[in-house]
Amino acid sequence: MKSRFWRRNRRNEELEDEINSHLRMAARDRLERGEALRPVEIDVRREIGNVELIKEVTRSMWGTRSLEQLSQDLRYGARMMLKRPGFTIVAVIALALGIGANSAIFSVVNSILLRPLPYSQPDRLMTLWTSLKRPGYEKISVSEPEYVDFKQRSKSFEEIASYHQRGLNLTGVDEPERLQGAEVSPNLFATLGVNPLFGRNFLSGEEQPGHGQVVILSHRLWQQRFGSDRSLVGKSITLDGKPFEVVGVMPPGFEFPTRETDIWTPFEVTSEFLSENYRGSHFQQIVGRLKEGVTLQQARAEMDAIADQMAKQSPTIYRLGYGIVISPMRDEIIGDIRPTLLVLFAAVGFVLLIACANVANLLLSRAAARQKEVSVRAALGASRVRLMRQFLTESVLLSLIGGLFGLLLAYWGVGVLMSLAPSNIPRTDEIRLDLGAVAFTIALSLATGIFFGLAPAIHVSKPDLNDALKSGVRGSSDSAGKHRFRNSLVVAEFAMTVVLLVGAGLMIKSFIKLQEVNPGFSTNNIVSLRLVLPQSRYSTFDKQTGFFKEVNAKLASLPGVQSVGEISALPLSGFTNDRSFRIEGRPEIPGQPNPDEEIRFAGPNYFATMGIPLVRGRLFTERDNADAPRVAIIDEAAKMRYWPNEEAIGKRIIYNGMQSTVNWIEIVGIVGNVKHNGPDAKEDPEIYLPYSQPLFMSSNSNVSALFIVVRTALDPSKTIPAIRSEITLLDKDQPISNIKTMRDLLDESVAQRRFSMLLLSIFAAVAVVLASVGIYGIMSYSVTQRTNEIGIRRALGASTGDVFMMIVTQGMKLSAIGVALGVVGAIGLTRLMSTLLFNVQATDPTIFILIASLLVVVALAACVLPARRAIKLDPMKALRYE
Amino acid sequence: MAKREKYQNKIEILQGTLDLLILQTLQWGPQHGYGISQHIRANSGDVLSVDTGSLYPALHRLERQKWISSEWKMSENNQRVKVYQLTSTGKKQLANERSRWEQFTDAIAGILDPAKS
Repeated sequence: MKSRFWRRNRRNEELEDEINSHLRMAARDRLERGEALRPVEIDVRREIGNVELIKEVTRSMWGTRSLEQLSQDLRYGARMMLKRPGFTIVAVIALALGIGANSAIFSVVNSILLRPLPYSQPDRLMTLWTSLKRPGYEKISVSEPEYVDFKQRSKSFEEIASYHQRGLNLTGVDEPERLQGAEVSPNLFATLGVNPLFGRNFLSGEEQPGHGQVVILSHRLWQQRFGSDRSLVGKSITLDGKPFEVVGVMPPGFEFPTRETDIWTPFEVTSEFLSENYRGSHFQQIVGRLKEGVTLQQARAEMDAIADQMAKQSPTIYRLGYGIVISPMRDEIIGDIRPTLLVLFAAVGFVLLIACANVANLLLSRAAARQKEVSVRAALGASRVRLMRQFLTESVLLSLIGGLFGLLLAYWGVGVLMSLAPSNIPRTDEIRLDLGAVAFTIALSLATGIFFGLAPAIHVSKPDLNDALKSGVRGSSDSAGKHRFRNSLVVAEFAMTVVLLVGAGLMIKSFIKLQEVNPGFSTNNIVSLRLVLPQSRYSTFDKQTGFFKEVNAKLASLPGVQSVGEISALPLSGFTNDRSFRIEGRPEIPGQPNPDEEIRFAGPNYFATMGIPLVRGRLFTERDNADAPRVAIIDEAAKMRYWPNEEAIGKRIIYNGMQSTVNWIEIVGIVGNVKHNGPDAKEDPEIYLPYSQPLFMSSNSNVSALFIVVRTALDPSKTIPAIRSEITLLDKDQPISNIKTMRDLLDESVAQRRFSMLLLSIFAAVAVVLASVGIYGIMSYSVTQRTNEIGIRRALGASTGDVFMMIVTQGMKLSAIGVALGVVGAIGLTRLMSTLLFNVQATDPTIFILIASLLVVVALAACVLPARRAIKLDPMKALRYE
Repeated sequence: MAKREKYQNKIEILQGTLDLLILQTLQWGPQHGYGISQHIRANSGDVLSVDTGSLYPALHRLERQKWISSEWKMSENNQRVKVYQLTSTGKKQLANERSRWEQFTDAIAGILDPAKS
């Protein structure tokens, strides 16, 4: 192998010598004829022509093996690229943008959608849900008795595990912390197929009351709070004021059910939970592992039959029937991010196609200039296949270089994506530019090179031999077919750009609409935080309310604080709590569910602090305490649903499970609607109750945990340290969680939309740049091609204005066709992204008109420059120009 | 334009005939590329000109077909030059090419001037 290359090198040197000696001899002969030295050199060169080309063609006569031919083609291609640095740089930039964007988005798609979940045989993992066969309850959590039924009756599953999230206060360490945790059935980790890094798994039986004081920690918590101390296993830590023995630590990257989960404890299954009273209490999440060889359909069929039995056995609870919903865990985790990612992937695909069209156009213009070279090669016996191969090698070389830069771009881009990505996108920390993405990039580069190189290669390799040989480098004018092909490339670029721009425009308009939405509360100068009082320390209702009243008084006296309020479930926080109730004077209808709405426990100053307007009646006061009659405030949505045509104030409702001493709750006020689940969610009926009035039997849950909202005169984030220290002064073991300004909360709730809007806009901007470069390139080329014609027209009396119009019209025709096609395409394609839009039709006419006119203006600008060049041509020179 | 006019009185060598001309030239003895082109030009009364871009590819092709061989020598001007010479198979090939060429010219002549044949 090596010796062959040496031999080739020597042959190259000899060829060089041979040609040089030829040149010298030719020059000597001319000198002897008495010609001057300098013109001789020029004449000899001119007579002999392109020396490099001669060498090149001569070399091709040596006969080569394909590998050598490839390296020869590569070297030749590299030389051609270096000769035209401007062309090369433009092409490489276009390709790097196109390929890089694709690699970056592919990394994201690959990590989130394609790569298997980090559990053993994840395809067999399913989630199971209860369906109560009525609207809003078609896919809800499962109750403990239902879970037991699933486990005992089904045969399709190897294991079925349950879990639910639960926050815990970690104390007895330097700084108390509110931790995200999960209460799980002991078989959860076995079901997922993940074992603790060290220590042991939960044991069967640890769900029994009195046996469950054990805990498994996340790797993060173990590292950050316990200094990676392996001897921690077997020791005890304090959670919610109670001792728990650490039995294990999970491996890094284990995030179940959420990324923030740091603590797992066995769920203590008391006989109360197993009783039929609890059949309607749906709070468990279920994950099951299908047995080897059992299909999803088989499992569904079996669970349908089991659900029918259960419905027959408990007809009072399952009044409208019962169903079990099974869906693959992967779908649950990926959730609604899939359409967003697919739209983004389609968008970068378009960007790449536009880049390809651009480079193909560049290559075609350049190929015309190389027609002479091609003709010589063809005349000397290079076959058509050989010529195509040469050209394809060059374009693939080009695209591989573009791909290399694209990869760098993607590496950087993935980092940027990660920093921009909202935290509610699943699996984000699994995203990286891995081997799969690199392989994808290489394959994409090769395919791209062949794709955009093929058309020029085909065109170039069938030259009209005689014509090209006779004429000079320039004179051969393109055939009509070649013109048409190039024009259609520009048309396609414009069409695709329109689609991208319309997509981005729709997203931007959605986002603006979203920003304009009034969430029903004020977001300025409000900071919120959450206090969860441990049962061990605040055991009674009075102790709990007493603490919150103290906190309120302390915070309200801080400088710069205007008012302080309390609420059990803050808007945008994701916390919910719904209960069914009955309205006085309206009998229960058999077969019809009772009304069921969210309830929120609020302090007297909550509405004023949050800027929620009072519509009618009154707000809560300090006098609405445990001894006073029970009162409630509803929002306008609740009034419209339950008392649409009558006065709601003064009406009374009653909840199931209220304390016996409590009777009817009277509605005393109506407040404005609040978009609790984000600006893009609908306004649901809400019922507010004063946190200072105990209501329910089973617990004093209304005040064990509350959000505190603080309205400040100035920047609310500046008061956070003061708020923290006040609360720590009151109780040094009390953790503070969820500290955030309302503005941040609102921003987070729309972060995913902002993210996809931003990306789509970037892609659209790249597309516009590429498309305008494309039309500029073809118009400049056209002016060069038509120089002669322009000279004739001018000589025949055409004014500069006529020439200007001629060029501009030609360009505008192309872009107009492209824009028109793009509009049609966009109407078809943007429908697919309608789930990503908010308050905007996928065929929003203003967007379409705006985008179309924007592109026409861009095209006009890109045509004016070449047209100006055309009118500046000296008619006489233009005539002689060839 | 002007440049091209200078060569208008010269005839470009027909494709395929260059091989014959090279082999024929080398029959008179070893010669380097430049010498071959000058010889063809001189012996055709300055009518035939060999394009350098065709000459060297042709020489290398003929060498590969083993009809000619080459070696480096010093020229009369003390220059290192690559000199080609006819091989024995090259001589046979020359004979073949010649007879084919004669057939060809006879045929053309017959068409152009039917009375003579």
